[in-house]
Amino acid sequence: MSGGDLRMTGGERRRIVQIAVDGQTVTAREGESVAAALIAAGHRVMRWTARGEPRGYFCGIGICRDCLVIADGQPDTRACMTPVREGLRVESPRGPSAPAERA
Amino acid sequence: VRSAECVIVGAGSAGLAAARTAARHGVRVVLIDERRELGGQGGDWVPSTARATAGGDRFGDAEEDKGHRLVEAVRTLGVGLRLGAVAWAVFDPRVVALATDSEAECIAADTLILATGAFDRPVPFPGWTLPGVMTAGAALRLMTADRVLPGRRVLIAGSGPLLLALAHQALRGGAEVAAVCEASPMRGAWRQAHRLVPHLDYVQQAHHYRRVIRDAGVPVLAGHVLRRALGESAVTGAVVSPCDGDWRPIGGAERHLDVDAVIAGYGFVSSTELARLAGCEHRYAPEVGDYVLVKTREMESTVPGLFIAGGGAGAAGSVVALEEGHVAGLAVAHRLGRIDARAYSREASRARGRLLHLAGLREVIDVMHRFGPGVYALAEDATLLCRCEEISTGEARAAIRDGATHVNEIKARTRIGMGRCQGRLCGPALAHAIAGASAIGVVEAGAFTPRPPVKPVSLGALANPVG
Repeated sequence: MSGGDLRMTGGERRRIVQIAVDGQTVTAREGESVAAALIAAGHRVMRWTARGEPRGYFCGIGICRDCLVIADGQPDTRACMTPVREGLRVESPRGPSAPAERA
Repeated sequence: VRSAECVIVGAGSAGLAAARTAARHGVRVVLIDERRELGGQGGDWVPSTARATAGGDRFGDAEEDKGHRLVEAVRTLGVGLRLGAVAWAVFDPRVVALATDSEAECIAADTLILATGAFDRPVPFPGWTLPGVMTAGAALRLMTADRVLPGRRVLIAGSGPLLLALAHQALRGGAEVAAVCEASPMRGAWRQAHRLVPHLDYVQQAHHYRRVIRDAGVPVLAGHVLRRALGESAVTGAVVSPCDGDWRPIGGAERHLDVDAVIAGYGFVSSTELARLAGCEHRYAPEVGDYVLVKTREMESTVPGLFIAGGGAGAAGSVVALEEGHVAGLAVAHRLGRIDARAYSREASRARGRLLHLAGLREVIDVMHRFGPGVYALAEDATLLCRCEEISTGEARAAIRDGATHVNEIKARTRIGMGRCQGRLCGPALAHAIAGASAIGVVEAGAFTPRPPVKPVSLGALANPVG
């Protein structure tokens, strides 16, 4: 349902860059939040909790820590507070009981 | 320990305005913010209480211009900047401890201004942890700062004028809005009409939003509350139903909506933990359902030399924050002997006049969208109360049945509030859970005691002090 056409007009001032999300190349805009880049690319799930529950962008201001990702190898990086830069590598943390590992 | 004439925590509207005013009067200012850029949580972050014209983007551009000028002024006035730095404690009486990713620093301040802002009132409901569910502030920032829609088809629920602004934004951005759900009944709103006469600009803006929403065929459901968000790995739907005047869900006509994003915004609460840690007095204001710090008309808290401005002193919008920051900056300059009493009182009384005008509008909004504690009845036993530690409302309710009467007691028993948000998202809901299940009032149920560090900092940074 999500993804693809979630970009609004007005963001064109920003330079288009490529980032890697879980190894896949994604087009993003320099300086936008990593969370915005993920949502625009259809990645609403940003991590899985210890109990295996999916979490995403929630408070948007760095308080809830639901959107923690691994950015360029740095764990516990808040996607909502981190600006996109060219070549950034983003990975979704998976709790010990995330679905892919359960299978 | 370094020293500064004035330390300001928070580089949003209030902090920037305070820094500009103080620095213009020759005060040496250090400005701290967690983000790496100036501007705070989003410029448009808290709903502005005095919107200029009904022009939509025209207005946005004007606001953005004002913001750019403010940031420019702060940069050229030689304000000391500590960006990407968390102020994690205030020690006796005005020593601020801060940390970046890699370094720690302490600054002893002659005067301290806390402009720490506000955040969405956290309200647990079934499904509130699903990806695709976000707060009003998060959605606003996503759309205004990043120009990305929360989803293709969106439900906007909660209370307050921001809901209409969000719906307007989403529609202009090309999303579908399934419904706008306003918890307050909005009956008798006309009784407030005469009080809006001095705020024609605001009325025009709200009217413009309503027209755009109506023309798009979006139902605006007053007296309705978001019951639950549905989905497996992300939101696929939501259920809304009528609620009473206290925002308590009542039985009857449930509506099911297919949506891929849910925006929930029940107004804003202040970030007061640094002020409370410093010993500033606060009181509970039931009409807004939040703790408000006690302060003078100089913006000074009950701790001498410690000033409070902006959302941190009652979430009232960025226009109010700018004026409060300006007054705090003036008060600091006066306190440090940089302006004489006459110049101070002339400038400060002008700003206070503008604040009084804005307060009139705020009061109308607070009456029309009066906080309804019944909304905390939305959480079911299985609903997570503590998002961080993944602890359910049922566990909290069991502790209450066992006789727990204070939030700190339940924290010790259940770990609710011990996670990385440090109780910000669960504290109010927990206090209301106690009040809802016993004869204890929400004030007696209490708030978590703030402890340093009030936000997570790395041990590596603390082990690497500078200065």
